[in-house]
Formats: sequence, C-alpha cells, structure tokens
Amino acid sequence: MMLSQWDEMAELALKRVEESGAEYGDIRLMQSTSQTISGEDRRIASVRDVVDSGFGVRVLYHGGWGFAASSILSIEEVPRVADLAIEIAKGSASLASERARLVDEPIHRDRVVTANRIDPFTVPLDQKTMLLQEVMEYVQRQPEVVRSHASLWARRDKKLFVSTEGTRLEFDLVAVQGEFTATARHDGRFASRTFTTPHLRTGYELIESANFMAEAPRIASQAAEKVKAPAVRPGTYDLVLDPEHLSLTMHESCGHPSELDRALGYEANYAGTSFLTPEKRGSFHYGSSQVNLVADNTEPETLAATGYDDDGVACQKWDIVREGVFVGYCTNREVASKIGEARSRGSNRADSWGSVPIVRIANIGLEPGQASLEDLLADVKRGVYIEGHGSYSIDQRRYNFQFGGDAFWLIENGKRTHMVRDVIYHGITPEFWNSCDGVADRRHRRRYGFITCGKGQPGQSGWMTHAAPHARFRRVAVIKG
Amino acid sequence: MTIAHVKTWPRMTGRDEFRFLADLVLKRSSADQTVVNLYDQHTGTTRFASSRIIQNVDTRRGTLTVTVAFGSHRGSASTTDFSAGSVHDALARAERIARVSPEDPEHLPPPDPQVFPTLQTSRPETAAAGPPRRLEYANEAIGQCRIENLEAAGIVSSSVASVGVAASNGLFAQEERTEARFSLTVQAEDATGWSAAAHRSIDHLKIQDRTLTAINKAKRSRDVQELAPGRYRVILEPAAVAGLWSWMLWTLDAKSYQKGTSPFADQLGRQILDERLTLQNVPGHPDLLGTGFTHEGLPSEDALWIEKGVLKQLVYDRFTAKQQRIKRIPTLEAPCLSASGSTAFKTQELIKQCERAILVTNFWYIRTVNPTDLTLTGMTRDGTFLVEDGQITSAVRNFRFHESPLRVFKHVDACTEPAEAVTSETGKMLVPAVILRDFHFSSVTRF
Repeated sequence: MMLSQWDEMAELALKRVEESGAEYGDIRLMQSTSQTISGEDRRIASVRDVVDSGFGVRVLYHGGWGFAASSILSIEEVPRVADLAIEIAKGSASLASERARLVDEPIHRDRVVTANRIDPFTVPLDQKTMLLQEVMEYVQRQPEVVRSHASLWARRDKKLFVSTEGTRLEFDLVAVQGEFTATARHDGRFASRTFTTPHLRTGYELIESANFMAEAPRIASQAAEKVKAPAVRPGTYDLVLDPEHLSLTMHESCGHPSELDRALGYEANYAGTSFLTPEKRGSFHYGSSQVNLVADNTEPETLAATGYDDDGVACQKWDIVREGVFVGYCTNREVASKIGEARSRGSNRADSWGSVPIVRIANIGLEPGQASLEDLLADVKRGVYIEGHGSYSIDQRRYNFQFGGDAFWLIENGKRTHMVRDVIYHGITPEFWNSCDGVADRRHRRRYGFITCGKGQPGQSGWMTHAAPHARFRRVAVIKG
Repeated sequence: MTIAHVKTWPRMTGRDEFRFLADLVLKRSSADQTVVNLYDQHTGTTRFASSRIIQNVDTRRGTLTVTVAFGSHRGSASTTDFSAGSVHDALARAERIARVSPEDPEHLPPPDPQVFPTLQTSRPETAAAGPPRRLEYANEAIGQCRIENLEAAGIVSSSVASVGVAASNGLFAQEERTEARFSLTVQAEDATGWSAAAHRSIDHLKIQDRTLTAINKAKRSRDVQELAPGRYRVILEPAAVAGLWSWMLWTLDAKSYQKGTSPFADQLGRQILDERLTLQNVPGHPDLLGTGFTHEGLPSEDALWIEKGVLKQLVYDRFTAKQQRIKRIPTLEAPCLSASGSTAFKTQELIKQCERAILVTNFWYIRTVNPTDLTLTGMTRDGTFLVEDGQITSAVRNFRFHESPLRVFKHVDACTEPAEAVTSETGKMLVPAVILRDFHFSSVTRF
C-alpha cells in the first residue's frame, strides 16, 4: 500500500522535473523508525520511539543543484516540493561558473533487505530494559564504580529511490547496537570503561551474542583498575592498537582524507579539506608497505553496504592505500569526473529524506597481515597496548592528530604488564602510518563503526564500518592527558 | 538576482494549530500525565565552495513527540506525520512503551502551568527569507572574493521554527523562532581566513563586513612561519573564547557534580576563575538566541552563573533540582561573558598591548582529554598570527593546544567588551577577546 503511493508520488515528482528541462532528478521517499533505550545509574532514563518520514527531490538543472524536502508525505505536497527543487536548481545554475556533471551509471531496478534472524523491533521491550538494568546493577556492585550507563539502539529505514534515468530501488534496512559503561572514582579522579558492540546491519542476534552479562565483570573491574592505575610517563613508545581503537584512528586519519569532495574543497568551510590532494594519487607513500586500506561497501552486515548509494550507484570494493601507496578516493557521480574517473565509487549518502546526499567515507578497513597478537607484543620492549575509543581530535587537513583510548596497558619486554591511565598519543598522519610495522592476521579482524560521523552544512551524520586486526606502530609520541 | 519568486511554504504550525494537535493527544490519552512537544522547522541553506554554489537545499520537517507516564512508568514516541491517525498512533506507541517500562525513580510530573517571558524570538525578515535571499548573500560574498582573486567557501542559511510544549496539567507554551547564519572561509592558495555570524534577523548578518574580515585574514595568512610548540601568551578572538567556554558550560551538569564525576567538584560558591569575569544568561538580549521556555516547559531565566569568578549555578535536571531544593532552575541558552574594570573596545587594542603573543582566530575539533580537570585539546584554525611589538608580523603554522580553560582563565591579562561569537561547533555567545598567559600549544601541524 505504502509503496504504491510512494511510486505514484515519485512518478509525479519526476514528471515535473523532466518537464522543466532539467538534465537529472531523483526522489527519495523514506520512513525511518528508531528505538533508543537509555539507562543511567541503574535506572531506565528514557525509552524513545521515533518515526521520521518524508521525501526529498533533487534536481540538476543546467549544471546547478537544487533540493527540497518535506515531512508532509502526501501526493498533494509533491508538486510544490518538486517545483521548489527546480526553482532552487535554476537559481544555483544562474550563478554557476562551472556546471556539475554526473558520470554514467547503469540503470538499476532492485530491492535490498537487511538479513536478520531476530527483528529488533519484535523483541519485547521489557526484555531489553531488564538486560540494561541487570548490567548496570552488576557493574555498580564493584565498590569503586559510582556511575553506570547502558543503551540499546535499533533502526529500520524503508526507502524508495527513483531517478529520471529509470533507476528504481527499494530498501528495507535494519541496524542494531548496544553498549554499557562503568565509571569509577578514586582519589579525586574518575575514569570510565566501556563495552560496545559494533553498529551493524543485522538483527537483535548481535545483542544476544554480545553477552553483556559475561562482559560486565571485566568492564567493572577494569574501570576500577584504570582509575587507580599510574599515569603514563610521557615519552616515545611503540603502540599496539586493538581493532576497536583502530576503527577511529582509521576513520579520522585515512577515511576523511580519502573523501574526494574534501580534497576538492567542498568542505573547506566546515569539516575541512584533505592533505591527500589528487596529484598524490598513485605515488604518495601514505603508509608502510604493510598498510593496505581497502574500501568495501559490499561486505554483508556493514553499515555502508546498502546495495546502492543515494546516487543509485551500486556498492563496490576498491583500494584506498595499496602496500602503503595512496591509490583511491571515495567519490560520487559529481566529483568522480573531476579526477578523470568514468564511474562513481558509490559513496554518496544522505542521513535522511530531508538531507541531500554528500560524499561519505566508505567501509574502509585495514587488511590483515601475517602476525598474531602475541607476535606483535613480543617484539616490543617499551610500549602501550590500547583498547577502545577515547579522546580524539585532528586538524582540518587531517595531518596533526591526537588520540586517547578507553583502556591502556604498559608493554614491557614483550608482555602486557599493568594498566596505565591518561595515555594520549599524537603525530602526523603519514609519519604515523609509515611507522606501522606489523598487522595481525585475519583471526584478529573485528568490525566497528560509526553512525555519528559529522560532515556537511547543514550537518549530517554518516554511517560506516571500519574493520581491522591489531596493528603495531613504532616510536610514537605519548603524553599524559 | 534573477531567480523567480518561489512560493512560500505551507504555514508553520501556529499557536492554535498546536493547541489543536495537543488536544488530539491530551483528550485521548489514558495516562496519568501526558506531555506533547512540537518542533516544526522550515530551513534552507545555500552552500558554496571554490566560489560556486555546490548545494542549495530547503527542508520542512515537523516533529510531534508524545511522552506519557502511568505512575512513574514512562514512554515517549514521535512522528513527523501530523494527520490525526498518526498523532493518535504516536500516543498509542508512547502508552505501550510506558506500560512495560520499569518505574523511573526520577520521574516527575510536568511543570505547573506558568507565565513565560515574551521574547522577540522571531523576526519576520528571516521567516520570509527564501532561496533568493540566501543566493543573493552567497553571491555577495563570492563576488567580493573574486575581486581579490580569492576562493570562497561557506553557507548562508535561514530557518523558522514553531516550538511548543503542552501537558495534561494545563501547561502550554508556543513560540516561533527564527535564525539566520553566515559563515565564510576564504582561501588564498594555502592560506585561509574565516568569519561567521548568527542572528535572529537575517538583516544582521553583516555579509560585507564579515567577508572583508575573512579576506583580510586569508591575505595575511599567506606568509607563514613555524614556531616551536610551548607556552605562549595568546590573544584569543571571541570565537576562540566561545570554543573553550562552550566546553566549560557543557560540563556544569549538577548530577555529575553530585556524584563526584565533574571537573567542578566542590567548587560551587568558590572562586574558580579570574575575579573580573562574570557569566550571565540574558535570554532577552537582541543579539543572542534566547528562547521563552525550555523543552520541558520551564521559563527561561535571567541568571547569574559566574559572578566575579565565583561559580554560582549548575545545570540542573528537574529531579536533581528537587533533591537540592532548587526552586527555579536557571537556564543557559543565551550566555554573555563580561569582565569588570577597564576593557578594550576591540581586539586591535589588545594586539597593541602585546610585546609578543599568538593571535588565535578560532579553534577547531575541541575535545576533552581529561574530564577530571577539563583538559581539552584542539587546533587553531583559519588565521593564527604572531604579534610582536603591538602588531601582527606574520602568520604562523597552526598549533594543537593541550590546556584546561579552568586553569588559563584563572588569570586574564586583558579583555575587550563582549562581542558576538559563533563557530561551527558552538552555539552563539557574547564573549570578549582576551589576553591569556602561558597557554600550552603542544604540537604544530604542517600548514
């Protein structure tokens, strides 16, 4: 019922776009349903159920873009929104010093559905709230733990994409995530330790298999150990980084610089540009020969593997860095041609019906190497092993970065000895990745991702997964946070 | 400007329409308490880069959120569909959630009905501004940059929102809020300069002045030298001050304070900053983005937050406020930081006072490094200069800082009158430019 009405709306909108003389137009109709359950200090603080529906029409007229959107999802609203998008595009075209042009893409007609065993929206709410309350109750039994937080999140996006070129795509996408945190206090300080599942396109089975209650004792005791641990002594250390931690390092220092729109200046006023400028492609030594960073928007369950992007381009797999050399960008149909590529990489995504799609980071991951984690640690005399996410900051061209983490252990003569706290490492992106001399093998590969990657004006949240095994970096500057 | 006149959008949800929608919920609800929140926004942004329009968007999104409670079992559901069927469905979903949610020991009924301040939160010129006006302003900024052979990247945006809260106990508030924004990064080869503005009135964006400011910063940033990291005397322009202060204000949470997980632990009523500094909330200030009421239906308040360096208030949720017997919860949506004693009029006067200092236009990507003492990190951005003998002598490569505002604002060498400040990462504030000593820059980047 919903789809037949949406098809009628799409037909009406695109007819008006075609009649305007525009060279391209598309419409996205969406209904997003999300459920967020948040716990704080043993109590369930909120349960929110959000239904967000609407449609957006995008028009390219004489090389100028226009986009209009409305949450009034009715056939009567379509002409006004479509006409407004056309008028806006004409205004953009009137100031165009250079016409936007789209590279070709085959016409697709397809339906994409997230495979899942347990639909997260069918799991009884009391089962979810009970899990969160139990895990908060457990971690707060640890005497040093004074606060706890826990949450579960699920979202379903039903979407119809139709373009004037004839592409028609239906989506029914689901994503799930859960986490909990223990905060311990000692001697006037406080410190937190978090367990999180990745955000993945799967069902509630992700939460069940994560087994929060089995993880709770470790998280509670490590929070207590962390807050009492000695502060790190500033200096130069070898670092061994776990996959969850690396997901953020890769995201900030490799993912964002590989967005071609940034490299071309589209984000100069907000998210920034990129040191990976087009002339460096194919020759710049981004990392050591051990570093292979691959964009894979085809891997099942990952966030950017949606079958097609919001340009209607099929998801793909390609190299960003091969044996240390920078070789590829994340692109869309508009910017691909600016570096002479004949086809988009399919990385153009919008965060809702009300947003225009922009180039987003793909599922960029570090390819496994040959070592075991024990091998990586064994060859470290003085180092730090880091798990999870902490403080993070990077300059607007993605050179100078600084990262913390969620938990830190000193490595002495090849062994993890004890926890330390307040570890912050910093460096310059290519110098850091060129110091990578060991990557663990496929057994150690894990996937983590983000749904809050900020970019664009107005701001949008991007979704992507970053997979990696553990990796080792030599002689990195560490300071006390 | 040749763009044709664009039809206005459907009328925003006004006071009467919101009352009608709220009644659809309140009359049908079987809950002990029911609250309805409205956020109906029409917003547009014209975005440009490399001196051409790259994005031009216009979105209307109305959201109605229903929160119900049976005893202290609570649930919340929202919809963007304002048809009676969908609004009733949102109520039904909220009721279903509440019936199976555990009791919340911190649940409180909605605030009592009250009189809210009437503020000029909406300006007709902004509400009426559409794509043509935004395009006109974008073209003005691009044109000025072209004259100088420089590249422009930025945005012009305008929005109008109808915001409301209604509850089963008779609480009712609704107001229209407008907001216009302009920000511009000017690129002169590898150098950049920046300026930004936000105001209830689109007429107050001062496009020409802001564009000239960004152009001058970009041109001055061309000849750059690298200085070693270390502790420097700094002149922070208002945007840089706002960046640091925003993080201070975001961590004033009373519950964290109570649980001992706040950087302000045990500091309430004590001298925490330079005794000349006073922070107030001024919702009625014409250059701030004050509102008449909060999301929960509490009135906005003129409030003194820091008086002569002494911490006077915390950010209270209603439960913690009740526990602490706080009768009127202070709000902080329109912050104004000022300094007593002699102040300079403009940043230029501060520059003249400095024998040697780093002038910082703005900070970027500020994040917490250590929540215990509120050590922050971030980068300087879009105009960082060396000041020697009272004048700017060169641009310097951008620094990363590693510093706590709670430490560096304990002593302010000099400051200006409060000025409008807004960044891409903060809300709008009125803050002075300041001279601080021993500001820690921990590393340098490549540009």
